[in-house]
Amino acid sequence: MNIILTLTKLEFRGKFSGFSATSKKSWAKLAFGLLFYAALLYVIYAVGGVLFRMFDKAGIAYEALVIIFTILFIILLITGISSTIKVLYYKGDNLILMRFPVSGSEIFISKTLFLAISQFVTTATIVVPVLLAYANVIPVGQMFYNSIPVSVLFLVLIPFLLSNILAIPIMHLTNKIRNKFGLIIILLSILVAGMFAIYMFLFSKVVDFMKNDSFSVFSPEFVYTIQQTAKYLIPTKYFADILLHNEMYFAYPALIILTGISLAGMILVINLIYQKTLLGNIEIEGSAFVRKTKNKKKSIFAALLCKEFIQVFRSVNYSFQYFVLAVAMPVMVYFCNSIALKLGENTIGEQISVGMTLLVMLIFATVITSFSATSVTREGNNFYHTKIMPVPIRTQLLAKFVMYLLVSLTANLICVFILIVTKMMEANVAWWVFGIVQMLSIGITLRSMRYDIKKPHFNLSGEGEVVNATANTTASVLLGFVVAVTVGMLSMVTAYMLSLPISMIICTLLSVLIFLYCVAVYSINLKKTYEKIVK
Amino acid sequence: MLEITNLYKKYLNSERFAVEDLSLSLRGGEIFGFLGKNGAGKSTTIKCLTGIYPFNSGSIVICGHDIAKDPIKAKLNMGYVPDDHSVYEKMTGREYVNYIADLYRVSKRERDERFDKFVKQFRLTKAVDSQIKSYSHGMKQKICIIGALIHNPKLWVLDEPMMGLDPQSMVEILKRMREHCADGNTIFFSSHNLDLVAKICDRAAIINDGKLHSVIDLQVRGNKETLEHTFLSITADDDI
Repeated sequence: MNIILTLTKLEFRGKFSGFSATSKKSWAKLAFGLLFYAALLYVIYAVGGVLFRMFDKAGIAYEALVIIFTILFIILLITGISSTIKVLYYKGDNLILMRFPVSGSEIFISKTLFLAISQFVTTATIVVPVLLAYANVIPVGQMFYNSIPVSVLFLVLIPFLLSNILAIPIMHLTNKIRNKFGLIIILLSILVAGMFAIYMFLFSKVVDFMKNDSFSVFSPEFVYTIQQTAKYLIPTKYFADILLHNEMYFAYPALIILTGISLAGMILVINLIYQKTLLGNIEIEGSAFVRKTKNKKKSIFAALLCKEFIQVFRSVNYSFQYFVLAVAMPVMVYFCNSIALKLGENTIGEQISVGMTLLVMLIFATVITSFSATSVTREGNNFYHTKIMPVPIRTQLLAKFVMYLLVSLTANLICVFILIVTKMMEANVAWWVFGIVQMLSIGITLRSMRYDIKKPHFNLSGEGEVVNATANTTASVLLGFVVAVTVGMLSMVTAYMLSLPISMIICTLLSVLIFLYCVAVYSINLKKTYEKIVK
Repeated sequence: MLEITNLYKKYLNSERFAVEDLSLSLRGGEIFGFLGKNGAGKSTTIKCLTGIYPFNSGSIVICGHDIAKDPIKAKLNMGYVPDDHSVYEKMTGREYVNYIADLYRVSKRERDERFDKFVKQFRLTKAVDSQIKSYSHGMKQKICIIGALIHNPKLWVLDEPMMGLDPQSMVEILKRMREHCADGNTIFFSSHNLDLVAKICDRAAIINDGKLHSVIDLQVRGNKETLEHTFLSITADDDI
């Protein structure tokens, strides 16, 4: 038992290793984090309230609660499986722990405890505001509030236990397909684009509802489908039943039995296959593919560009950060623009739609280009190659820049194509939007690259990759958001108050200034600053 | 082949010089060993001469090209193998070597010829189309060496090349080093290993606390003992 406690403490200590009770910076970070968290919870509460009011108008508030529980259940199951695989099987400390006289069960229980506690705290803080929002819209009794802890407990426990059972088969599956990079990227792109599409569909309904909340925004067919679907959402409908005291004599036993079965399954997993899988996984962690090619001569620039693509394309982590979001960009632009047009119908007209499109495209361009803020960092232990190769620094950086440019240019072109084809925007205005977004995107890319040239963060993890956002990425995203909001808002305000042509001139001037500033900051003393980088 | 003159290097936020007034001259066709205890300044010197670190003053000239003034031409004449044998692990062995060959402008014919020769010599034929991340420590070191030699550099610089290698791999690398020198090229390598330096080097330099202590010609009879004596006398008063 002592060993389990010690190992659990070790996990928590690792989680909070960055915090120091004597450091003012740590306390400031904590305070900022808590403030941000409180704001997030309020947003969840407020958005939850709007959604429940909207569904209540259609007479399907209960069904909405069931659907929300289902979504949470799926998210918890997926994140649970992902955390279990990461913490139980892939975390570097397994290699260390296996050398000590600690049994597989002890490692498993300590890590499971850590995961369960973390999951419970996170879920409770997200679910409680949602349920309070429900209680604010639909009249509920005291029993609703009393049942919240029980409901949350089941909601955490069942997906958690199931994720422990499912982690091993899913891990074997991911090990089998982990080198099929093209397939993974396509699947992830479809998944992300689909999620954005569903999100935006719901968001457009919220917009409809906010414009006129006196009638339901859903068609009778949609309401009927939701009602029929919610009936079969087992076991998640039981979480709602516990809260609302529906079919109590069925909901409780069903959840208790499911928890028992999952627990028994997890115990079987610990005793029969955990240690074996752990050892096996440590062995296959370095699994790699074979690709038979012939020696081929390329130009220096083509070689540099090809290497950049290989580094990103052969990493699921980087591909997701970069290519997948670029794929999602046109989906978001399409939906956001249709919402912007809808918003503008009864208020300030089409004038703001150009600014809205500009804002959305710039925000996405910002997220995509923030990847360039790890240009040097991503070299990691291979950074020395960039210093010893007989190729000027500017050429090397140009290859990186061209890779970023190719992806952002393609995403921007698709966006403009969609805007023109769907007649959401006139062709000449759409091309102007493209020009502004591309110019600012280039500027932000160069500025982000310069952040990383000035101060790269070489502490990479896993397979030598940047897993967490660095300070440079944060700075790049912040800069991008400031630029996006400034240019987007300026476009909206000037188009509304003056006229679209004058707005276009003002925004062009501002964008050119921002672009020139970024190019200048990137270029000045570039070689000297790069040469100073020491790993 | 390599002329280091009055080299000074101080790290940022450091009060003392990591390398101080170091001068060395290497001839064509020789294997030159660079000995010193941990922290003596071996790796810093190597990183300065390969262009990885900037330096405060002095000059480094490789095959007539100053690394600070004409870095591209200087680097074209040099191959470097780092102590941690870091390579792009997402690439296959062949992709990595081709990438390096492209950067050093190696023709298709020359790269085919050298690639086949080295892959055979280092027994990597089966592994060369596998991703490098699956390679063992020794295999990574070997692919790194092939990358460093694919353009047949006049100066081959190795930082602790034998660290962590099995005897078979060491023999293969030593053989390649001798062959490279026999073609009139120069090898400059750092090591802790006194026996290894005494066995294969024509000359060796000992560096201590960033300063050049002595350069010993190992072709002269009795100098191998002098090297051992000098090196041990320096390391004897080490504070562990």
